[in-house]
Amino acid sequence: MTASNTERKALKLYLISDFNLETMGNYFVNGNSSLQMSVSSAPFGQVFPALLQTSDSPLADFAVVWTSPEIIVPSFAESLNHAAIDEDRLLSEVHEFAECLRKAQKHFRAIFVMSWTLPYYRRGNGILSLKGQGSRKLLLKMNLKLAEELEDCESIYLLDAQRWLEAVGKNSYSPKLWYMTKARFHADVFRRAAREVEAAISAVLEGSRKLVIVDLDNTLWGGVVGDLGWQNLKLGGHDYLGEAFVDFQKALKSLRNRGVLLAIASKNEESVALEALSKHPEMVLRPEDFAAWRINWNDKAANIVELAAELNLGLQSAVFIDDNPVERARVREALPEVHVPDWPEDKTLFASRFLELDCFDSPYPTAEDAARNQLYADERQRARSRKTVNSAEEWLLSLDTECTVEELSDANRVRVVQLLNKTNQMNLTTRRVSEHELQRWLGQDSRKLWAFRVKDKFGDSGLTGILSLEMKSGMACIIDFVLSCRVFGRKVEDAMVAFAAEYCTAAGLGELRANYIPTAKNKPCFSFWMSSGFSYNEKENRFRWPLSKAYPFPVGVKIHRSATATGDILHSQPQRSPHAEGAALPVFTNSD
Amino acid sequence: MNMDGTNFLGSSVKEPSTNGTSLFDGILRVMYDSIAEVNLQLPENQRMGKSPDTILLGDGGKLDSLGLVNFIVITEQKLEEFLGVRIDLTENDPFSPTTGHFRTVQSLATYICELAENRPGRELA
Repeated sequence: MTASNTERKALKLYLISDFNLETMGNYFVNGNSSLQMSVSSAPFGQVFPALLQTSDSPLADFAVVWTSPEIIVPSFAESLNHAAIDEDRLLSEVHEFAECLRKAQKHFRAIFVMSWTLPYYRRGNGILSLKGQGSRKLLLKMNLKLAEELEDCESIYLLDAQRWLEAVGKNSYSPKLWYMTKARFHADVFRRAAREVEAAISAVLEGSRKLVIVDLDNTLWGGVVGDLGWQNLKLGGHDYLGEAFVDFQKALKSLRNRGVLLAIASKNEESVALEALSKHPEMVLRPEDFAAWRINWNDKAANIVELAAELNLGLQSAVFIDDNPVERARVREALPEVHVPDWPEDKTLFASRFLELDCFDSPYPTAEDAARNQLYADERQRARSRKTVNSAEEWLLSLDTECTVEELSDANRVRVVQLLNKTNQMNLTTRRVSEHELQRWLGQDSRKLWAFRVKDKFGDSGLTGILSLEMKSGMACIIDFVLSCRVFGRKVEDAMVAFAAEYCTAAGLGELRANYIPTAKNKPCFSFWMSSGFSYNEKENRFRWPLSKAYPFPVGVKIHRSATATGDILHSQPQRSPHAEGAALPVFTNSD
Repeated sequence: MNMDGTNFLGSSVKEPSTNGTSLFDGILRVMYDSIAEVNLQLPENQRMGKSPDTILLGDGGKLDSLGLVNFIVITEQKLEEFLGVRIDLTENDPFSPTTGHFRTVQSLATYICELAENRPGRELA
């Protein structure tokens, strides 16, 4: 499925439950989500048949599976009636359910399974409910067993339903709704669940936000540092507001540890603000925790644009937090792609408001995510080095760039699918596929896919490129040509094309083609291909290269097979670039 | 609740805070809040107006049976917060043709007003 298709068509969502989920479906269709969704439901109560459908074609894009523990796990129903049960049997019933979910993976890009809950008024055996075969203890075991069973299913996500129940409180279960409509929960629970599933789908489709830009005065600390001096700021100490600001900074720092970048946009004197960050003894966040800052008296929206550009991130990756509603309104209006959450006036709520944001949810925890801050530190060093050399070509040569080419494997599959599904700019066809769809697509010998890891003297950028081909009738067509903006503009894209041409030549093919599918965001890819030396047919949006002619590898980029292969350097000799002389390097202005 | 209308701490069951407006107006406000919540489940062109004349059930109504029950449950919950007592709006089957008070916002507000003013069997929130 291509992104353009995704953008045009409503996402199909399939609801599977043993109770009435229609209210939740209504929130998906009629709520304020930016996602356009169409919802269908499995026949009421037909959980197992719905999961075990034998159709080979996908049933929907996504599925929600929300069940009652006492129905899915018969032993648990017996325990609720205070009968002694065989716990091994109880866990094997959970295992059977997990197996059905596992089998259903092939029908959907992702399945969201809600954890099991009980209403607050089900006290079980009261003070013994967490002992022996107490109902709450068994429920904990069942949820843990389900989580462990689904741990290795990369397209199944177990969502914590208990959180929504706690947020709604004692009205989360309504016996009246159950008796009159067979809905297990209050509408507010379904609204919160729908919101969380939407956030999860957005994370799967578009990736998560990667940058938090914060104000300083009365946001990161209490008071105005320019007026009070850093010694008199409200931060830490034996003061409830000081403690609240420290906790907010800790929340920001914890997100930084997950790979989200921090930046500052503040109206202040830079030297005064940085002195506060450096010297205040209870400051949690120090200057080195921030990837970039704009501390000046300029318009904050303009500063945010500059920050995003400096960090090679798109505005759609950014979140802006400011205590001042006027600044928030200004940024919302000027930069609608930036997420600007409503912010409480009550400073004791800053940390909790921040921790409940769902825009940082990532469906794929990868090593690259965790190391993102280091990657950006490397990039800052790289950019500094660029200022010390005379030309772009000279600078590229000085980087000592190396690409390692890998085939798809268990070790890189998650990152490949992640990169494929979230890259927008340097993406030839913007094909979006799940792991299962990608595996199925690669099931034919005529199709090949390689992943490219890139590093240079400043650091390892990780798995940042994907190339796939389909070969038929004596020619090859590039299906995926994807490159992260982290390495875009460093001739890696040229090396990928040269690699493809070399492979196809060795395979005895006569022509290499690339069919460009335009989207709102992949113009940089088009610009690259226009300068690639391939001939271009505007009517067909097709680029062609006759393989009777060798496509030159770029100067200064070494290509290796991965360690799992031979380890030989395929090509390390400087070659002439096929680009037109004097052609500008591609400019990347936002992130993938 | 104790027989004298106090709870076990001896406090009185709270009277609705109507801010000087009538009980009926207060109940209307509660129902408008409920309408706003239920509207989030409805397509834009089917959302209900905040008016006494808004039809809840029957010809011209925007709610199906699930929507009406959601509206009832949300309204009961908000009434409990407003009045301090739980009021059961489904003592009579709301879908029965003989139960006329679910026809419009006004008829239901009138019915709730009667229940609130004559709550012999009221229970503590």
